[in-house]
Amino acid sequence: MAKKPQYFEHESLQDKESVVNYLKALSKGIEKGEILLSDDEDTQILNTSELTQMSIKASKTKKEQSLRIKLSWTNDTDDDDPDNAPLFIKAKKPKKKK
Amino acid sequence: MNHFPEVYESLRFLLIDLQKQLQAIYDGIAENDPSLFLKSLERIDYIENAHLSLLNRSYNSSLRQDREYQAQLQGFEHISYSLHHLSSQLEALCFQLEQCKSLKLLQKKRIFAALEDLNKGLLLIEPAVESEELTLSIDICQLQGRIEKSCRQQLDRYQDNLKTGQYSQALMQSSFIVRDILNMADALLKVGEGIISGKLGQFIQIDRYQTLEASLSELDYDLTEQSINIHSMGETKSGCTISGVTSASEAQEEILAIFKQGRKDKLLEEKIGIESWHEKFPGIAPEVYSYQKQGDKAALLFEYLTGKTFDKLLLEDRQALQSGLNRLFATLSEIWQATEKSKPISANFMRQLQKRLKSVYAVHPEFNLKSKGLRIGDAQQASLEQLIKQAAKLEEKFEVANAVYIHGDFNVDNILYDADKDDISFIDLHRSEYLDYTQDLSVLMVSFYRLTNYDPKVRQRIRLTIEAIYDFGADYAEQNNDNDYAKRMALGLARSFISSTRFVLDKEHAKSMLFKGRYLLEQLINLPKKELPNYQLPKELFRD
Repeated sequence: MAKKPQYFEHESLQDKESVVNYLKALSKGIEKGEILLSDDEDTQILNTSELTQMSIKASKTKKEQSLRIKLSWTNDTDDDDPDNAPLFIKAKKPKKKK
Repeated sequence: MNHFPEVYESLRFLLIDLQKQLQAIYDGIAENDPSLFLKSLERIDYIENAHLSLLNRSYNSSLRQDREYQAQLQGFEHISYSLHHLSSQLEALCFQLEQCKSLKLLQKKRIFAALEDLNKGLLLIEPAVESEELTLSIDICQLQGRIEKSCRQQLDRYQDNLKTGQYSQALMQSSFIVRDILNMADALLKVGEGIISGKLGQFIQIDRYQTLEASLSELDYDLTEQSINIHSMGETKSGCTISGVTSASEAQEEILAIFKQGRKDKLLEEKIGIESWHEKFPGIAPEVYSYQKQGDKAALLFEYLTGKTFDKLLLEDRQALQSGLNRLFATLSEIWQATEKSKPISANFMRQLQKRLKSVYAVHPEFNLKSKGLRIGDAQQASLEQLIKQAAKLEEKFEVANAVYIHGDFNVDNILYDADKDDISFIDLHRSEYLDYTQDLSVLMVSFYRLTNYDPKVRQRIRLTIEAIYDFGADYAEQNNDNDYAKRMALGLARSFISSTRFVLDKEHAKSMLFKGRYLLEQLINLPKKELPNYQLPKELFRD
């Protein structure tokens, strides 16, 4: 399971309408639970989570203004790992027992 | 008995010279001969040397000896420092006497009595060190009280006489001397404590010793017979000291009892808490052997419970943790069934949280959004205070139908699991009461979450344990037709996640707890009314 981290990076110059389009595309992906990111070499799919940590940073100087949005979340747990088996088992429903 | 003959030798030299120093002062006053004060001052170099030689020898011995005798060495050092200090006080007294215009005017009788008592104390030191018992050491400590009492009486008399206006200068001088002697008596107290500490193998102050002695005598243990050892086991947040009492006679050191000393109000609460459990669910709380009080302090001697706390079990294998949790869940179900009272009650989580916000902000000022909250475009985020207010309104509707007897401070380190006996015990029972059982569950879950072990394997176990506690509670709720379990747990967890940040200094860890707490409150508040009955608590929240 443990692979080395994968990266995707993109930079470009866009007009107002295009920026909104990109943001909408991202929003749609978040709602769907899947964000597709691809370039010439690689394709990546991020599986979003129900709970996401969001950080928004804005700065304004004489020369430039910027807004950074960061979304991060922890991956789903691996249910096949025996160490991951639940520690509480309902007593009255033996069929749920492992 | 005495493992350090060379250290003891230095102490004896020190004592001989100290007695000479004292005797010369006595003689000087008795014979009105100031030259004798010079003789007294000559002893100081010898005392200085003996003191330093004792410290050197003690240091060298400490390198060679087992730790087991460290306390005896420390005892010797403590005695030597106290005597050295006494010698300096005698030196100051000498200088003062030299300034006296006429020694004839001094009220000699009283001064002599005090000096004689002081000397008596010095004479007792050797026999006390050599004795197998502690009685002589206690006598030395008690001499301090006697000297203090007689000196104070004398000072009062001087005060009265001074009002008559006669011999005022002589009276003033006499009273200064008596006051000095009164202060010197403190050295005897410290010497006595030093000897007792050396013999008991643990530093102990005399008032603490006396409460311990009284507590143990109720158990038929005699401290003076030295069949008992005590050793420090730490301190509590409320400033109590905790010691373990072990039997010295048995080959295998077995802890006989726990001795806890501190503020009376705290210990009384604890005693009442323990006793309430004996009545309501016997076998879960330690046995109280004795309770002693003195002024605003008190001491509690109670049963030493075997077992490990859950933060230790987390580090062992999965099976140990699993067994502990199984027994804990079974025990909780039994307690709740046994103590259930049909009385609707609310834990008032939001009120609890509101009360603790100030101390949260003291540790993490950046958590305080003030009253305005935060705004991003059309979206708004309320301040914690606003959230708590709204959530408190919701909470009013979720009273639990039956109150049960809860621990009240259900942290990981207040629960002991004995794997050999497969048995759970509770400690620190000063906040037990009839309340909503989700109070204990939510506090326990967050006390696991806030452990500062960041090893990924341990974090995984913490997450699984938290989930297990939640699921156990949900199962109990289902069986008892408690339909608001998830909502009350959400409020309880929010309360504990946010309020516990005051104990977490790691910024990232504290932030993740605040976010989880806020999220739970926001989620509940924003839920449409008709969806409230089906509210599910998001399990992802238990991940890091």
